Amino acid sequence: MTTSPSPSSGARAGSSSSTTSRPRRPRRGAAPRSVARRGLGPLGGIVLALVCVLMLLPVIWTVLSVIKPANVAFANPPVLSFRPTLDAFVDLWQATYFYRYLINTFVVALISTLGALILGIPAAYALSRFPGWVSVALLLLALVFRSLPRFAIVLPMYDIARNLGIYDTRWVLAVALMAINQPFTIWLLRNFFAAIPRELDEAAMLDGCRRDQVLTRIMVPLLGPGILTSGIFVFFFAFQEYLTAVVLTNTEAGTVPVFIATQLGQTLPMLQQAGAAAVLLTVPVMIFAFVAQRYLVAGLSAGSVRG
Amino acid sequence: MMRKREFYSLVGPSMLVMVGLLLVPLYLTVKWSFQDVDYGSPGQFVGLDNYARAFTDPRFGHALLFTAGLTLVVTAVLLVGGYVLAAMINRLGRMRPVVLGILLISYVIPQVVGATMFSWLFDQNFGGVVNLAVSWVTGEDVLWFVEAWPNRIMVALNVIWSMLPFATLIMLAGLQGVSQDVLEAAQLDGAGPVRTHWSIIIPSIRGVIGFVGLISIMDILRVFDNLVPLSPQAVQLGNESLMLYIFNIAFQDGGQDLGLGSALSVLTIVVIVIMLYPFLRDVVKEARQQ
Repeated sequence: MTTSPSPSSGARAGSSSSTTSRPRRPRRGAAPRSVARRGLGPLGGIVLALVCVLMLLPVIWTVLSVIKPANVAFANPPVLSFRPTLDAFVDLWQATYFYRYLINTFVVALISTLGALILGIPAAYALSRFPGWVSVALLLLALVFRSLPRFAIVLPMYDIARNLGIYDTRWVLAVALMAINQPFTIWLLRNFFAAIPRELDEAAMLDGCRRDQVLTRIMVPLLGPGILTSGIFVFFFAFQEYLTAVVLTNTEAGTVPVFIATQLGQTLPMLQQAGAAAVLLTVPVMIFAFVAQRYLVAGLSAGSVRG
Repeated sequence: MMRKREFYSLVGPSMLVMVGLLLVPLYLTVKWSFQDVDYGSPGQFVGLDNYARAFTDPRFGHALLFTAGLTLVVTAVLLVGGYVLAAMINRLGRMRPVVLGILLISYVIPQVVGATMFSWLFDQNFGGVVNLAVSWVTGEDVLWFVEAWPNRIMVALNVIWSMLPFATLIMLAGLQGVSQDVLEAAQLDGAGPVRTHWSIIIPSIRGVIGFVGLISIMDILRVFDNLVPLSPQAVQLGNESLMLYIFNIAFQDGGQDLGLGSALSVLTIVVIVIMLYPFLRDVVKEARQQ
């Protein structure tokens, strides 16, 4: 079994994060300080700060445009002194069905995440334990499905959904995203499960546990942080999805990304509404990115870094 | 030892969903690629016609060229930029969580929303600040949305913006796995920073770098969301990506050419599987050893 080279292997995803610094090794005499601890220096600091500003610039600029009064929101040249207002948000709430798109987005993301986990956890566990070509074949299949071009799956789904009369419902989108993201869950969780020694299963089964009890009573609690990490990722994938949502939904079950994209070709008040929607969608996620950082970082390293 | 029955009952539900909701649609796409077909009605078998049309369609050529060019340039920037950023962040102490948090922002924003925000930075009609800065420096008005090359640059910058965090974080995880002892030994032997990176760190994390490259290539080959807000005139400018091209001919306006679109999807799958091959081979090897 190969373990991932990252310090934050799955089973410990929550309890230790890769952002914690290693203990300093003792310095002997004039030996140089360890490379990683040497600090950045002023030039590096400036470059890094500049990169951070550039990464944030689109968000900052959008926030500015949204809190400007409507008549100067997108004026050219931009107006920089103005009395901030929240009118655009009020407008967004009153003049559009934004709340409906928002509810759709979260309901769909939640259902598809739960579904992907419920299907993915047992499958990943089994794949990490069962020797033989079947599990290798399934793993390969999961990998290939994860990287398929979406239209190859989504356009037939559109055809089927219309034939079944379930086009433009939250359910069809949730089920589609569950199916699309499920292979990723398996892939990520399998690495987490593989880090747990098999002797643990065998000991529990000698003590009289059935296989399903091993999974629910021992593995799931042990992998709590790993499961949370996968859940966060799948939730994000569903929440970010534009292509699938634009094909499978129309006005009823549309999500916020679809809403924002359809507002684009329009005129000013609608543009500012799109900006307000973007800000309302972005700010909670930004906060989340800070709060759940260690899960995201751990998931990224454990799920993808391979020896 | 897990018994066969246990294995299949654990894997069963997931397999069922994969077959029913992924394999069946995939089969339809392959079938449609050999048909003259429309949504909701049975198609007619036309052999390899759709494939023949794909290869003679100049629009497909443009889309292929645009996608390949974008993939090459952006992947190169992501590999170099991601590595340099990761190496810098790896030296940070207390500021590290702050910088990582800022980097994660563009990773978690939906791409179509990020691209929308990006479009406002560049749009002259909306007083975009980047556009202002560029025209102030160059003394020229750049038409970001109606001229082919400026549009390409803007799209590339946006894709870099949205994918750089992923590249950086994976590289950072790789850097953290590099043995401190080796690095110290190199320093004692008098290797400078450039030498240390080039001959010690990069070779020891080449697996990670390869992985970042692979994921980047696969993601950029499938670029779609970013172009919707950033290149409304993609067709006229020759800035259609493969996915956008498939969308335009097989879905937009009722989907006039589902057969051709399906054939293009199949061709894309073939390319992706070929590129995945070395990675898949590694997975098989590793699974065998277990």
